Amino acid sequence: MGEFKVHRVRFFDYMPSAIRTMAFNSQTERLAVARADGAVEIFNFNDNFFQEKVIPGQDGRATEALCWVGHRLFSAGLNGEITEYDLENLRPQYTVDAYGGPIWTISSNSQGTQLAVGCEDGTVKIFAILEERIQFQRNLNRHKGRIISLCWHPSSAQIAAGMTDMIKIFDAETGHATRRLLVDRAMGASKNKEVVVWSVGYLSDHTIISGDSAGKVQIWNGLTGTLVRTYLVTKWDVLVLSVSKDESSVIAGTSEGTVIQFQFISSTVDQHDKEWVRTRTFRNHSHDVSALAHTDTAVVSGGMDTQLVVRPLLDKVEKNTQESALRKIAFPHRSLVGCAKKAGLLLFQFPDRLELWKLGESEGHVCLMYPYFVCRFLQGEDHICCSALSACGGWLAYSTVSSVRLYRIQYNNTISINKVGTLARACSRQPVHLLCASDDGKWLATANTDCEIHIYNLHKMKLHCMVPVYNSCPTTIAIHPVTNNLISVHADQQIFEFSLVQKEYTQWSRRLQAQGLLSLWLERDTPITHITFNPKNPDHIILHDTYMFCIIDQSLPFPELNAVLWNQMTLKSLPVSQRIGQSHAFKICKSFQHLMCVSLLEDLSLVVVERPLLDIMSQLPAPVRQKKFAT
Amino acid sequence: MAKKQRGKASSSSKTAGIEKPAESFTLSLESSDDEAPEEVTFEDSKAAALRSMKQALDTARREKQLLKEKRRKRQELFQEQKKRKLLSADVLEEIDSASSKKQKQSEDEGEQEEKPEKEGGDGKKKKKKKRSGKLANARNLKGKYTVTTVKERTLASFQQQVAEEFIRSRLYGPGTCRTTNNEMLSLQNKKGWNKSAAVQFVKKDWASKEKAKAEKLKKRWLHKQQLPSC
Repeated sequence: MGEFKVHRVRFFDYMPSAIRTMAFNSQTERLAVARADGAVEIFNFNDNFFQEKVIPGQDGRATEALCWVGHRLFSAGLNGEITEYDLENLRPQYTVDAYGGPIWTISSNSQGTQLAVGCEDGTVKIFAILEERIQFQRNLNRHKGRIISLCWHPSSAQIAAGMTDMIKIFDAETGHATRRLLVDRAMGASKNKEVVVWSVGYLSDHTIISGDSAGKVQIWNGLTGTLVRTYLVTKWDVLVLSVSKDESSVIAGTSEGTVIQFQFISSTVDQHDKEWVRTRTFRNHSHDVSALAHTDTAVVSGGMDTQLVVRPLLDKVEKNTQESALRKIAFPHRSLVGCAKKAGLLLFQFPDRLELWKLGESEGHVCLMYPYFVCRFLQGEDHICCSALSACGGWLAYSTVSSVRLYRIQYNNTISINKVGTLARACSRQPVHLLCASDDGKWLATANTDCEIHIYNLHKMKLHCMVPVYNSCPTTIAIHPVTNNLISVHADQQIFEFSLVQKEYTQWSRRLQAQGLLSLWLERDTPITHITFNPKNPDHIILHDTYMFCIIDQSLPFPELNAVLWNQMTLKSLPVSQRIGQSHAFKICKSFQHLMCVSLLEDLSLVVVERPLLDIMSQLPAPVRQKKFAT
Repeated sequence: MAKKQRGKASSSSKTAGIEKPAESFTLSLESSDDEAPEEVTFEDSKAAALRSMKQALDTARREKQLLKEKRRKRQELFQEQKKRKLLSADVLEEIDSASSKKQKQSEDEGEQEEKPEKEGGDGKKKKKKKRSGKLANARNLKGKYTVTTVKERTLASFQQQVAEEFIRSRLYGPGTCRTTNNEMLSLQNKKGWNKSAAVQFVKKDWASKEKAKAEKLKKRWLHKQQLPSC
């Protein structure tokens, strides 16, 4: 395969943002996740949990709650505003100020006609959901403390609101509080500390389930206002609850990082005396779990450790299949690093700024120049959507929700930067999330979230053709500099090669589809985020995902279905003559972990940008102190 | 006897008139209580009364004059002190001319800087211009200053800060039993399959202050160990 000099880059201080809340839309199988910096991410659960859309955040938009109403997404935050998002253009459509102070929670009724928000000033405000907007309808009776959580009864007649030290049940028609459920404070030393009801759930049989800061999950009878059962699940807070659609299972997330499941089952065979029983405990997080979603088959959790964990429930899916595997999504599904191949520059994209670095040089074991920082572009309130650096390093472009900026950079002894223009964003039907131009500047390929790939001829300035739509979303596309073939890799890990000139799939691609990819390749859980090519050898395609990078050699045969995928180590141990028989097209290297970008410079040195998970974990907020045996 | 006394009294009335009756009175007292009091003529007593009135008026006048003098002196003293504080007249003139020029400049500057802000159309800014006009007459604003608009998020962000503080204190405040990431990861290292050291020793760039402190302590301890030997 060859030897490469490797620039092993670890100075990209990428810090993901904590997950504050999430909401699952069972109709469209989409999960919306809101992060602490105000960004909203949409994951497609049908398409291998691919992160389809990312709406960038904004300074000051501290999102506390998300809510789906049909196909519309609403969020509310501590800035006191309710925001509806435009999922086609990936930006906030409008914001409505609730005039109640910071908003802690938002929830829609089962018919999708009304939206209730719980505010800092102690009021529950009802908004009517209209065609293109929401309109304030009325306030329910005001309470003295802040409303932390609320939940509609499935009949839309009552609302249960969790506050400090109590839960109140409001009649949605009259606005009066009909019942008051008093929550016990913690035993022992924290008797003086008020207990905050962080989350409530309201079931159709008028059972109310609450999780509070004393670590209790309590089950109440909403009709009589009495406590049915208390479970003390943790010493710290129970931050979030989620009820399944069929109301037979409830999950609770704690500050400890555990997710506890309660199920409505009977202890005897004859299903007459059903009650809520604590069943499973999942320990998939190291820090607080602040967001939960209960789908039909899985438990999705996220929290302060910034990772999204999907845990399929083994009584709903078949065991030992790809479906039942635990999925952890820690890194974004797009590339945040741009590489200027000819100039040896790296562009790092942060939410609020861009950093440009120059790579170092060395001769053998002697280092001639260390990598150094060139300049920084600070962005204001709106966060950066995406950025790009030209191959020569002279042009830099980045876009936010409101504008696209282009800069010309000149490297004399000093750096001079000239802003070329600010263009307003043009509207398109579905958001284009991938863009790629050929090296000779003739072709432009775009991919959108509808899984369509369009090819444009830049010399004639018109649409050339459209690649046949595959049912999985493309995660990365690239145009080969020599053959002008479009390589696309999709969320289900399939690889296609499409010839732009002949407007059809290439022979190599058809052979690959006929043979089929190995199951080990298809079962990888992180998507390919970047494709690059070798200027010296046109047969090579270099791809990478978070845990490995792979060089596909188009001149070698495909691996047989029972062959070993990762055979580099075995090939190394064999003598040269026998290697040819064993080697196949996929050359995988796993030496570098938690890859953010792999690129090949013009001088044939490999640039590997790593972000070890340990470095991210060391900068997270404080976890709880757990006393473990023998430590 | 009484006649004699009278006669004596009348002859030396002017000079010792005042004392004589007193003397005579005391003499008379010393001599006897039975004797009749002296006779004082009407004119004498009239004269005496007039005299006493005159004296009273005189003393009053004198006192008034004394007070006037005092006040005048005090006023002069203050004026002298004032004069000493102020600079000489010609220096004042110079400053006066310079200050009038500066005032004009500052007014112009104020107008220029407030022009762009006026486009914002805020009533507050207009008031500021009036105020600065008054101030320019009263005193001189020395040094450079800039006019900036205050962002209107102060009230909203205060409530937001209170809310964020609430969450922070409930989750990370006192009594919440939190530990550091270093400790959590180190415990994982300790209990894992491949047992290794605490993370701040494994990673080179962690806990540099603690490491430096440990180095110093080690040096000091070694030094101490060497002392009794030599």
